[in-house]
Amino acid sequence: MAERAIWSGIISFGLVSIPVKLHSATRSKDVSFKLIHASCGTPIQQKRWCPTDEVEVAWEEIVRGYEYGKDRFVTMTDEDFEKLPVRSKHTIDISAFVEGSEIDPIYFEKAYHLLPGDRGEKPYALLMRALTEKNLLAIATITIRKKEQLCALRPREGTLMLETLFYPDEIVATEGADISKTKVTAEEVKLAQQLITMLRKPFDPEDYKDTYREAVSELIDAKLEGKEVVAAPEHKETEVIDLREALARSLKRSRGSKARPNAPARRRTRKSTTGRKAG
Amino acid sequence: MGSPGSADQVAKVLEQLDDAGATATLTMGRHRVDVTSLDKPLWPEARPAATKRDLLRYLAAASPWLLPHLKDRPVFVTRAPDGVGGKKFFQKKFPDAPAFVRSLAVFSPENKGAIDLLLASNLATLLWLGQFAALEYHVWFSRIGRGADGRSLGTDYASSEAAVEESRLNYPDFLVVDLDAYLYSGKEGQGEEPRLHRKGFAMVRDVALEVREIALSLGLSAYVKTSGKTGLHLYLPILRDFTFDEVREMARALGEFAAQRAPKQVTLEWSVENRTGKVFFDFNQNVRGKSLAAALSPRMHPAATVSMPLRWDELASVYPTDFTLRTAAEHIARHGDPWADILEHKADLGAALGAAGSEPGG
Repeated sequence: MAERAIWSGIISFGLVSIPVKLHSATRSKDVSFKLIHASCGTPIQQKRWCPTDEVEVAWEEIVRGYEYGKDRFVTMTDEDFEKLPVRSKHTIDISAFVEGSEIDPIYFEKAYHLLPGDRGEKPYALLMRALTEKNLLAIATITIRKKEQLCALRPREGTLMLETLFYPDEIVATEGADISKTKVTAEEVKLAQQLITMLRKPFDPEDYKDTYREAVSELIDAKLEGKEVVAAPEHKETEVIDLREALARSLKRSRGSKARPNAPARRRTRKSTTGRKAG
Repeated sequence: MGSPGSADQVAKVLEQLDDAGATATLTMGRHRVDVTSLDKPLWPEARPAATKRDLLRYLAAASPWLLPHLKDRPVFVTRAPDGVGGKKFFQKKFPDAPAFVRSLAVFSPENKGAIDLLLASNLATLLWLGQFAALEYHVWFSRIGRGADGRSLGTDYASSEAAVEESRLNYPDFLVVDLDAYLYSGKEGQGEEPRLHRKGFAMVRDVALEVREIALSLGLSAYVKTSGKTGLHLYLPILRDFTFDEVREMARALGEFAAQRAPKQVTLEWSVENRTGKVFFDFNQNVRGKSLAAALSPRMHPAATVSMPLRWDELASVYPTDFTLRTAAEHIARHGDPWADILEHKADLGAALGAAGSEPGG
């Protein structure tokens, strides 16, 4: 677990407190792309842009705004957030113990590894052993990045996991699939069950690979080997010469098109028109 | 800055306009201009509507900076007696002009003879034009003034086309580039040009910066102003060594170069259909007798905008509708005119092009 802890504090239940540190347990492995300006190959910059003042805005000048009506905002500063009453700033407060099957998987949001902090090994080991033997999960609250969250603690392969849970009002209600009037025959059900039985096997995540990601990586490798690489251009000094030539050519073209005997005025011989003012 | 005693004169005219009812006789020195219908809205859709009084107030207040941009150049005005949205006339000739209005006889091939073109050389002329509901002030890119670079150029503008071609009027002070985004806002009617909107203007701005960079690489200065409508005008001041025909061809080459560097942003396409989604680089204004709205000229945009000269460093933070009959004069009085010195920064384009440029043709 080389990664830096994203949170540290104590698990508290009853009179026991256990120093712990929190680390992310999952990470998305999508191939990431930078956004490149297609015509010149330069990585584009994302700017925080104010369309009213037409200026780029520095982080110091940014506050958060809650949109309570169309284009109407209540703004919140860091000080405002500090004032909010949050119970468990550095505490994982255990409130109950439940069985794993009681929690519908839809509630699980994100998984973290909980590791014992300084002098926390003994109470950590004690809590894990108790949970394992009782086959129970602890339900608690934790505040991560200013947000108080519901979570569950459970032992997994010798480590305590913290899984953040959605609150019930964060689960989207659905009217459900309307199949009450759809008829299926006993024959059809039997056939389906046979298919299921054929594919029944223990779940092994190793059986599954992100084939799309692999294909993307292969394509990138192929492009690199084929030297089909878009590189940001050096600033072209040679273009200036080309431009001068283009201008000189255009000048000749316009002189050729009209039988005008003039060289540039300052260098040509003057006719005696000076002093004669028209109008 | 401007004509003698201009600040004093301007203050007096503003005072007279503020005190006047619907009509007045404005006096400045020995000049008098009768003005009428001062409360007639000429930009009825502006918020608030801009009246003839507002136009005259603006012309007076801006005159110390506006007049130098008109000096020695034939002026064409767009008149709209019923205001923006009504009938408009592009007027070149003013047969019954009062004595303080200067004019210049210039040979016109269409007329097979000389016609009198207007020169706006004093505040009285501006106010007299304003009284005619002249809303836009377009000027030529060449002028009759001698300057350091016009000494050897002809001053016969009237006798024949050949004489005009030899004259100062055929040797422009600027290579001009007119940039407009053909990015539609979605609110245009059938066949209507794209209207002003943020995305289109941002695109024009990017192309303007690109053109400026190209100009700088040649040792040319570039000056930028809002057109007052949707786009930007770039003026590259040059010594008067080249004719309009030559300058136009060089402007075309510059545009082609810009389009090659930024093919997704810049187009020189003639068909409007093929311009869509890009900024149109119009090099074709570089013609003797063609004109663009002068720096600080009001425009016939519903919001009563002004073609505003800008510093390059303020380009990123402004929008065309920031500058109107109500705001532009105060802005320029406070910050100065970034175009005031444009004729002092002329580039020697012939030298920049090296041997190819100095080679005598024909």
